[in-house]
Amino acid sequence: MAIPVTVPRLGWSMEEGTFLQWLKNDGDDVRAGEPLFVLEGEKAAEDVEALDAGTLHLNSGGPRPGDRVKVGEVIAHLAAHGEVLTPSQNVDSKPVPALAPPAGPSARRLARSLGVAIEQVSASGPTGRITEEDIRRHRQSVETVVPAVAVRNEPVASPRARRTARERGIDWKSLQGSGPNGRIRERDVCAAPARKTDGRLIPHTTVRRTIAARMVAGVTQAAPVTLTTRIDATNLVSFREQFKSTGTTDAIVPSYTDLIVKLCAVALRQHPLLQAQWREDGLFVPERIDIAIAVDTDGGLLVPVLRSVDQLGVRPLAAQARELVELARAGRLSAEQMRDATFTVTNLGSLGIDAFTPILNLPQCAILGVGRIVREPTVVNDQVVVRDRMTLSLTFDHRIVDGAPAARFLDTLRRCLEQPVPWLVP
Amino acid sequence: MKTMTTGLDQGRLLHLYRQMQVIRQCEEQLAKSHQRGLIHGACHTYIGQEAIAVGVCAHLRADDAVFSTHRGHGHALAKGMPPAELIAELYGRATGCSRGRGGSMHLFAPEIGMMGTSGIVGPCILQAAGAGYSFKLLKTDRVAVAFFGDGAVNNGAFHEGLNLAGIWKLPVLFVCENNQYATEIPFNYAAGSPTVASRAASYGLPGFALDGNDVEAITAVAGEAVQRARGGGGATLIECKTYRTRAHAEGMGDFTYRTREEVEEWKGRCPIRRLRQRLDAGIGGPVASTVNGNGHHSPDAVDAEVAALVAEAHRSAEASPWPDPATATTHVYDESPRPSPAPPLPPGSREITMMKATHEALAEEMAKNPKIFVLGEGIGKRGGNFKTTEGLYDLHGPERLCDTPICERGFVGLAGGAAMTGSRPVVDFMFADFVLDGVGEILNQIAKMQYMSSGRIKMPILLRGCIGIGHAAATHHSGNYYPLYAHFPGLRVVVPSTPYDAKGLLKRALNCHDPVLFLEPRELLGIKGPVPEQEYEIEFGKAAVVREGRDATVVALAGMVRRTVEACTRLAARGVSVEVIDPRTVSPLDSDTILQSVHKTGRLLIVDEAFAPFGLGAEVAARVIDAGFDDLDAPIRRLHGAFTPTPYSPPLEKAVVPQADDIERAIRALLEE
Repeated sequence: MAIPVTVPRLGWSMEEGTFLQWLKNDGDDVRAGEPLFVLEGEKAAEDVEALDAGTLHLNSGGPRPGDRVKVGEVIAHLAAHGEVLTPSQNVDSKPVPALAPPAGPSARRLARSLGVAIEQVSASGPTGRITEEDIRRHRQSVETVVPAVAVRNEPVASPRARRTARERGIDWKSLQGSGPNGRIRERDVCAAPARKTDGRLIPHTTVRRTIAARMVAGVTQAAPVTLTTRIDATNLVSFREQFKSTGTTDAIVPSYTDLIVKLCAVALRQHPLLQAQWREDGLFVPERIDIAIAVDTDGGLLVPVLRSVDQLGVRPLAAQARELVELARAGRLSAEQMRDATFTVTNLGSLGIDAFTPILNLPQCAILGVGRIVREPTVVNDQVVVRDRMTLSLTFDHRIVDGAPAARFLDTLRRCLEQPVPWLVP
Repeated sequence: MKTMTTGLDQGRLLHLYRQMQVIRQCEEQLAKSHQRGLIHGACHTYIGQEAIAVGVCAHLRADDAVFSTHRGHGHALAKGMPPAELIAELYGRATGCSRGRGGSMHLFAPEIGMMGTSGIVGPCILQAAGAGYSFKLLKTDRVAVAFFGDGAVNNGAFHEGLNLAGIWKLPVLFVCENNQYATEIPFNYAAGSPTVASRAASYGLPGFALDGNDVEAITAVAGEAVQRARGGGGATLIECKTYRTRAHAEGMGDFTYRTREEVEEWKGRCPIRRLRQRLDAGIGGPVASTVNGNGHHSPDAVDAEVAALVAEAHRSAEASPWPDPATATTHVYDESPRPSPAPPLPPGSREITMMKATHEALAEEMAKNPKIFVLGEGIGKRGGNFKTTEGLYDLHGPERLCDTPICERGFVGLAGGAAMTGSRPVVDFMFADFVLDGVGEILNQIAKMQYMSSGRIKMPILLRGCIGIGHAAATHHSGNYYPLYAHFPGLRVVVPSTPYDAKGLLKRALNCHDPVLFLEPRELLGIKGPVPEQEYEIEFGKAAVVREGRDATVVALAGMVRRTVEACTRLAARGVSVEVIDPRTVSPLDSDTILQSVHKTGRLLIVDEAFAPFGLGAEVAARVIDAGFDDLDAPIRRLHGAFTPTPYSPPLEKAVVPQADDIERAIRALLEE
């Protein structure tokens, strides 16, 4: 029976070597102990001696000089005189399985921390190695959620204090810590009155956490002030009624919000500081007017953005707004569709609210709250008449603009809304 | 080369021939298996040297002990190991002689006196001397053999081991297989004297230089040496000049340091062929007239029988199961069942010093157990530098209270070999610092022996010495070292702080089968405490709650326990209640008692005189964070000795050790957290 000639391990850790040359020819008779081939290991090239005697049969497709060979790989057989090799003894060495793409440790670590499957990343560099940049690019391409703005002004508690709080049903975040740096210690929890209330805990969703973080930022990281004013909306109502009465069933009738958004753009053009953004080195004034509209959904508040509102006609604006609202309610808004607004309009009028104090969505400078439209007696030219009236609530960041300019903006907006036609007809 | 005529009969010669063939054919099989990837690690073959193992082992009984080197396949086979067990071990199988824990360089079969091959050059010499010590102490006629290469003879172990065997007339054969290269370093480069045998004179031993490829000559000289050893005539050094005709290890290059011509020339001096030619020439009587032990009548028949044996051994080894990965950490320590210990005794009213307490423990156990003997400098008539053995020499004599030359590596290595072969050595270092020159014997041999032998060799050895800073002893008489030893699996590390604990723990150490480092805080030796007069033991891995408290937990060891208690007494006057825990053993370390305390107090400080990095504080903190994180009401704090060698001058010395004031401050700071 033919004896396989295998690639030996030269030194302890060798897994692969380089085949340099045969020292015998195919068909030669080989005696045990004769040098058979030259193999280069980790340190040096060695003559590998035959351990057995026989006639050398080289494998077809066996290694050529310079080929990498694996330890244990069968590269030839030594057969007895006249022995005919069966095909299974004369097969090529097994193919090397495909390897995972090469990537450096920092790229692997980044992939782990971002939860990216490295096998799905393609390498951009000439060496074929996956870089950190490749991982980031890959992640951006598959990313679908807005990274929440993490607010870390929470109190700190020792592990023991947290456990005791849990056991006693106390919210330790509401406590004052007496330890170093305000750390809440067990004694602080023990000193707090135990509060046991019936109820259930609704675990936070990502959307809820994002909203919470943004709302907290809007009141803690800015200087919000809210102005309110009553306006006469009779003309606005009549303008919209004309759309309703003349439109066919499938034509879009702009909502009040759509009309107000459009008129906000008019006022913002005249008062660009109301969409300026606070930065460490100065105020950044965006060129475009991109207005977010607040949409109430089952999953919570979402704010899709209408782009370049001042460039849009009323009908296209209304069509876009409807599409975004539908996407929002279906939970299918993309991060891109909620990003980088310069101003926000939120309308609680349909829910019977007159006035409220909207919270800034940083880094925007201002947000307009829209109340309900009510028909009510009004004094016009000393006569009591029935008019459509509504309240506007403007919250602005006093770091960016002062009260008077904000009031002037609101007054401009009031005038636009009271006489809408010149601004809404192209 | 002339072959010595010995008058061995045909049957004996044929048996020697067969034994050499078993080694040769096994090695050839292993060389092939290495090329085919069946051997996962190193493989050092014995080809060319077969005559030595066979000639020496021809005189050994199963209860004689062989200690061997990294090139030990031949010794194992000649001592009687079945080829299948050797081959299976190299294949990493569960049926291997070391159950897959050893491989080529850690072959164990204590049942047949094969006490192990070693990956470290030299210790086998000391271990064989230790076995010789055991055999002499236990009044048997057993002998021990160390096989080693020329690479071992320029190592301290050779000098220390042969000297100890010489002065104590131990029944040992030191067999140097001078194959002329220590891996690749030529002997004539590495040694100042051209022979090893002539060195015997330095130790008062007979020395013989033999042709290592002449099995008849080796058999003759080894036979005389074994007789001499059994008869109380002491040790012999035998140098066998030989040659390995394969590379140092399979897969290594061979012709960077020696020539093909030289190898070919030595192949021509093959010991097996040489005996074969003599057999064929009719030496020892006509071939057909005798029958060897296996019933084979001719060398040809032997060749065929051995070939079939080795082929079957290879087949069965390859078919053997792999060891169960779940058993990878078994046999680190003795696993034989033990009755549950008696509940701890009350301390009673008699007060004695720690020195006296450990002396009592040793004296009581030595009276009970004749296998216990003590090795150390000045522990004989003098009774020990710290009176550890005072008066015992008069009771038990010089063999059981044996003064040593100043050769820590030598007598610690020897003690390891003694523990492996039935006695129970106590090594008294005096100062724990002294043993650092021989610490490889503790960490590489003594600690690993039970594991390497898959639990079949026990290691009942007690290594004791003083630790700790004080008395301006300066840096060579003040180290602590327990974190070092606690890092290694296989050792028990005991650090008592009271006379009560010291006696109970030393009693336990003298009754367990694991190696124990018993480190005695020197500053506490003379301090008295209550010790009961009745018999008692303290289990390893049980911490003592020295003082109960509710506001914070302090884990303190050795000399730090007293200082911590002092600080806590002061704090108690201000209404602060601190719990103090003394682990007493750092390996095993009692996490449970510490965790229970932290569960109560929520605050933890570790006070330790030893260095902080990778030390007791780090270990205790890590365990508490792992298992008791939610119990913590404050960060864990550590207070350690300064990270510096110990200075001499008293003010400098005081500055590197935590004092009671420092401990008090650290506890106050912890309570502020």
